[in-house]
Amino acid sequence: MKAAVWVGLGALAALAAAPLVLEPYPLTLLLQFFAYGLALLGLNLLFGYTGLLSFGQALFVALGAYSAAVCTRKLGWHSFELVLGVAVVVAVVVAVPIGLLCVRYVSIFFGMLTLAFGMLFHSFLFKFYLVTGGDGGMLVERPSLFGMRFAEMDKTMFLTRPFYWYALGLLAVGTVVMWRIVHSPFGLHLSAIRENARKAEYLGVEVRRLRLIAFVIASAFAAVGGTLLGVRTGLADPELAYWTHSGNLIFMTLLGGFSNFAGPLVGAGVFIFLQDSLMSFTQYWRLVLGVVLVVIVVLFPRGLVGLAQSLVARLLRRRRDAHAHRNA
Amino acid sequence: MRTGTSRSERLDPFSLVISFLDILLGGVFHAAVLFLVAAGLQLVFGVQKIINLACGSFYALGAYTGISAVTWALAHGLPRGLFLFALIGAGLGLAVVGPPVEALLRTVYRRDEAFQLLLTFALVLIIEDVLRMIWGANPQELGNLYMHYGTVGKGALTVPAYNLLVIAAALLVAVGLGLFLKRTRFGRLLRATAEDRETSATLGVEVGRVYTVVFTLGTVLGTLGGALVVPTAAASLDMSVDLVVEAFAVVVIGGLGSIRGAVVGALAVGLMRAFAVSFMPEMEMLSIYLVVIAVLILRPAGLFGKAAA
Amino acid sequence: MRTTRRTVLKVIAGAGVAAATRPLFSYGATGGPPLKIGILAPRSGVAGTVGECGLRAALWAKDRANASGGILGRQVEFVVEEETNPKDTIQRLNKLVLQDKVDCVQGIVSSGVSLAMGPAAEDMKALTLFWDGTTQDGTEESMPHARYVFKSTDNECEAVMASLLAIKYWRGKFGTVAGVNPDYTYGRNNWAAFQALLKRFGVEHKVVAELWPKVGGLDLSSHVAALKAAKPDLVFSSMLFADLPIFMKQAHAAGLFETTKFAFPAAGWQHTALKNDFTPEGMIFGHNTLYFAYPNASPLQREFVKHYWDAYKDYPNWEAERAFFAFAAYKTAVEKAAKVKGGSFPDKEAIIDTLEGIEVESLGGKARYRKDHVADQIFYQGFTVHDPKYDFAILGNVEVRSAEKLQKPSGMTFKDWIANGHIEV
Repeated sequence: MKAAVWVGLGALAALAAAPLVLEPYPLTLLLQFFAYGLALLGLNLLFGYTGLLSFGQALFVALGAYSAAVCTRKLGWHSFELVLGVAVVVAVVVAVPIGLLCVRYVSIFFGMLTLAFGMLFHSFLFKFYLVTGGDGGMLVERPSLFGMRFAEMDKTMFLTRPFYWYALGLLAVGTVVMWRIVHSPFGLHLSAIRENARKAEYLGVEVRRLRLIAFVIASAFAAVGGTLLGVRTGLADPELAYWTHSGNLIFMTLLGGFSNFAGPLVGAGVFIFLQDSLMSFTQYWRLVLGVVLVVIVVLFPRGLVGLAQSLVARLLRRRRDAHAHRNA
Repeated sequence: MRTGTSRSERLDPFSLVISFLDILLGGVFHAAVLFLVAAGLQLVFGVQKIINLACGSFYALGAYTGISAVTWALAHGLPRGLFLFALIGAGLGLAVVGPPVEALLRTVYRRDEAFQLLLTFALVLIIEDVLRMIWGANPQELGNLYMHYGTVGKGALTVPAYNLLVIAAALLVAVGLGLFLKRTRFGRLLRATAEDRETSATLGVEVGRVYTVVFTLGTVLGTLGGALVVPTAAASLDMSVDLVVEAFAVVVIGGLGSIRGAVVGALAVGLMRAFAVSFMPEMEMLSIYLVVIAVLILRPAGLFGKAAA
Repeated sequence: MRTTRRTVLKVIAGAGVAAATRPLFSYGATGGPPLKIGILAPRSGVAGTVGECGLRAALWAKDRANASGGILGRQVEFVVEEETNPKDTIQRLNKLVLQDKVDCVQGIVSSGVSLAMGPAAEDMKALTLFWDGTTQDGTEESMPHARYVFKSTDNECEAVMASLLAIKYWRGKFGTVAGVNPDYTYGRNNWAAFQALLKRFGVEHKVVAELWPKVGGLDLSSHVAALKAAKPDLVFSSMLFADLPIFMKQAHAAGLFETTKFAFPAAGWQHTALKNDFTPEGMIFGHNTLYFAYPNASPLQREFVKHYWDAYKDYPNWEAERAFFAFAAYKTAVEKAAKVKGGSFPDKEAIIDTLEGIEVESLGGKARYRKDHVADQIFYQGFTVHDPKYDFAILGNVEVRSAEKLQKPSGMTFKDWIANGHIEV
């Protein structure tokens, strides 16, 4: 456990130092990683810990991006803190009724319901273009961070310095918050529900209420991720809500390993960089990603982190055995 | 030159009926194709409890292969009037894809459903790029070949004969499937395995073989649907992803695992879209999603479904 | 850059040669590392063939330029990325500008993408020449003071021309109209323009159907049925993706063409797929800025069309012309700006200043950029005929109009222009 904390701090320090070392383009990729990392922390609470596979998480990511667009572009509210607040509130307001409807079901039905809601939102974003901007989306203007506008910086500078550190900070905070949630009694109850819902209920755990809370928390995290994405691209567009985007979120979670806390973060990072390099390398990047997903699902279901853990465990065991052997 | 019809002309009952029939036929045609794909989904879910996100990909595969098959056959002397058989041949021939894919899915069969879903999602990605590799990135089509069969009807109500053929084919498949499941020995085996896998296995049913057959049958229904529709439209890479949502709507409304449900669901979705386009275009897809959500909430098993929530 | 005596002599010699040659060959020679142009074009999906056509033309222009020494002695290289949806395309733009560090970005075919991408390119100060993109929000310009972004002709050009032709030739011959337009900003622009023009010229009409097929939707039978039910005299459609031939097929099969007139301002994108057996004669058909079989085509166009046929066994659509124009404009601007600075390679600001108001010989004739960064080009539309030489519909009677007469002038809103501008039928 201690090791995990050191690793985390080390990663944080490395990421914080990145702008001093890396070129702007990889830094924008890292921004994407922060955004997806947050969204995935939420998805993992829902899927890894509660056992609910949502195929509509992209809905809340889109909601976050569109909240940022509406706030900065239509309402003129540029304070990013305010934007974050609005995004979270909107996500919660939407998540509660949807969650109430969806958490009554499990596995396939939950997945299909969430997919339907996600696509409903996508259709709405597309069709009601007078309100949402339709296929062109809605512009997200540069926000102010803690009141500072950084007007003298151009967009790229803004994104790769002040906004980068702000986003990294958000991710760090989000990680700590999620860690506390997962290790709280609430989190333990969620795991119990995932293992055996009926038994949990028998033991007094209010299954539906807790699932709903997990759903709402996940949606809030997704929305925060969405605002980061919106600012980075400067745009909120309907494709953010398409079902294959939800599919990608799940892919990332699985890639990293969903039964593990750090899994989704690793998955997000690997996926983003993998996709980017593949796209420049070959037209057939979907094929490669598909094959990677097959390999993960069939051979390494515990994801990259799970794989790393078992390798480490095996190494340690071998060392211990060798040690014991020598002392025998 | 006609300068415009007067109000009374347009509102006369005869032309209203014709218009209604026109829209209805369009909806039924779309429903016929949806049914084929959805029936495949239902079969596979009913027996193996797997939801195949790649159903749309098989549909696209059928469409592209159909084009190649027809082009090749015509170039090698097949009379134009028989192109339909080249299409059917392509759709059925793709059955070879079924067993290997099923073998892949079998590796995660005992695991959480999420894994199966994700494996089929991976297939969506893979198949799309395979299609891209073989046929290129641009949409392909067969020109006006399907009009070779001419039109049926006269004047205001003209329908391409080909469309009626496709509807007839879908009906045949529906009836055939129904008979197969109820009357034949294998059909009964299927239903038994669907009901209770363990007991069936102890009773000597080779569950593995059943699964392979079922999955292949499901695949073929999808590829056949794609092959049959392609002459009236085109094959494009986006087909696979777009169709999945509609196919899902069909199985949700009809009820998971039920062939009868696939018929009803397909008709519901096809007709809803057809009428929405004419009367309420903004609601075209929205109406379908709303109905899906309503069904999932009020009657999650769908109209004919057996799966419990 | 080192200015050696050899370089200076080369410049003088080059200038002398250049003075005697046509504008497209390079002027002086500054030499140096290759010039990188980022190309953003669709590679798949419903706009795939269009992107491919544009790319082929851009490659032809590049190879021609490189064969005669490149631009100011620097060879030109393309970095090609895929145009998909707005969000992902902006990320590709990021990569081109931040990682590949291209000198210029050219491309973009979809109005939805260009509308979203315009501000992003401006923010990054990336010199961008849209092939077919505008930054119109509806019919109004959303970025009137763009500095780094150069846009194609306004979306309404083709719609205005088709409307004017419909009014000129068919006035009094239609009473009911129906619109079948792709469900996104371009389709909406076109339909709005058509209606505004009918109103301005006092053409009495009744809209009996307004259909908005989903972009890329391949099943149009419901739309055809709805159209039949509405019984319009005239159908106006700005459909232009791969769903257009499908619509024609299905409309023909449903018997829609027997008594209806058709005005299709943007059909030229799909012209080779609109086969004679299901495309009627007498349709108003738009080829935008390039009609491959124009009888009075320039030698440049003839050369290109021949090359295209020899290389690809196909005929180009107007996207080729847009791609060529972007490349030619950039090349000419760089060379002109260099002359002013005594031969050294000009910086971005100088190139931009030179691009404003520049005029070049493009495939479809003379083309230029206005001071407000909107292109001004020549448009070709006409009535379809079936010519035995081709298995697809071509134009019989070709009308030619300049964009000056088809798009709102700088600073004017569309509404004002329609109401008060000088527009002749």
